Amino acid sequence: MSELPTLRRWLGDFREAVERKTSDLDAEQLARRAVPPSTLSLLGLVRHLAQLEHYWFWKVLQRHPEDPQLFVVDGDWESQFDGAAADPALVEEAFTTWRATCAQADAFLDGLPGEALDVVIDPGDRIETIRDVLVQVLQEYARHLGHMDLLRETIDGRTGE
Amino acid sequence: MSDETLHGEEAVLRDYLGHFRRTFEQKCADLDAEQLARRSVPPSTLSLLGLVRHLAAVEYSWWRRVMGHDLALPKMWGKDVHRDADFDGAVADDEVVAEAWAAWRAEVAYAEEFQATHPMDHLGQHDDGPIEMREVVVHLIEEYARHCGHADLLRECIDGRTGS
Repeated sequence: MSELPTLRRWLGDFREAVERKTSDLDAEQLARRAVPPSTLSLLGLVRHLAQLEHYWFWKVLQRHPEDPQLFVVDGDWESQFDGAAADPALVEEAFTTWRATCAQADAFLDGLPGEALDVVIDPGDRIETIRDVLVQVLQEYARHLGHMDLLRETIDGRTGE
Repeated sequence: MSDETLHGEEAVLRDYLGHFRRTFEQKCADLDAEQLARRSVPPSTLSLLGLVRHLAAVEYSWWRRVMGHDLALPKMWGKDVHRDADFDGAVADDEVVAEAWAAWRAEVAYAEEFQATHPMDHLGQHDDGPIEMREVVVHLIEEYARHCGHADLLRECIDGRTGS
């Protein structure tokens, strides 16, 4: 399989893993800081992943730098996590927003030819090409899935990919 | 080396894999055998030492068995017989710790040498059929990243350290 389809297959697999790691839980369980002293929760991570997709695929790659970062309130990065309260309306908002940003990212990626991976978007930056962006997003998903693995197992014992 | 080469697929993937290997090592730094072996996020049975042993076995399996076309090679830590031997054998003993790091470092050195001398489309042999080296490298990045996520929480629960 060539490079772009390989990277996109990973992205799809990770999004599905996030759905599985967060399924069949109520708002209290999703918002629970289950592994203290860590302040991470599954809901906080879903909000963060929506922010991640929106930042890279919408603000950076589709050039909307003026749009606000999702779930970041008044420039406070931690509000993605701190604002993840046990409220069904917040849960609904988080998942709806995350899924919409994923769909928006896919629509953009569908129109991308394989050779676009080498396109430079930020000369000299550590994340310089479209390839760099995709690999960055993938490794963020993977690491946060590691957090989700332990949060979920602590909440109700569920393990697995 | 031109800028184009520096930022091509191979360089990017090699840098990320190197980054996660170093990150994982840092997550385990400055801890004694008891802390490394501690199952600090119950009911999970994961420990940092178990992850060292696991990642040594993962590197060994992908590079020597799959990319080396030698699926008959026995798995590390006797995993053919006892599937979770990497995690279950991670006991709080200085010799076990030293053995785990020696194994991991040897496998990383082997992997780096192999990667440096083969192209990204070099084919290995997996149980499911042929697999390109690029797939193996991406797989390893994602596997390391996920285990670094585990290590983040294990470490924070051991001594509060976060970051990197």
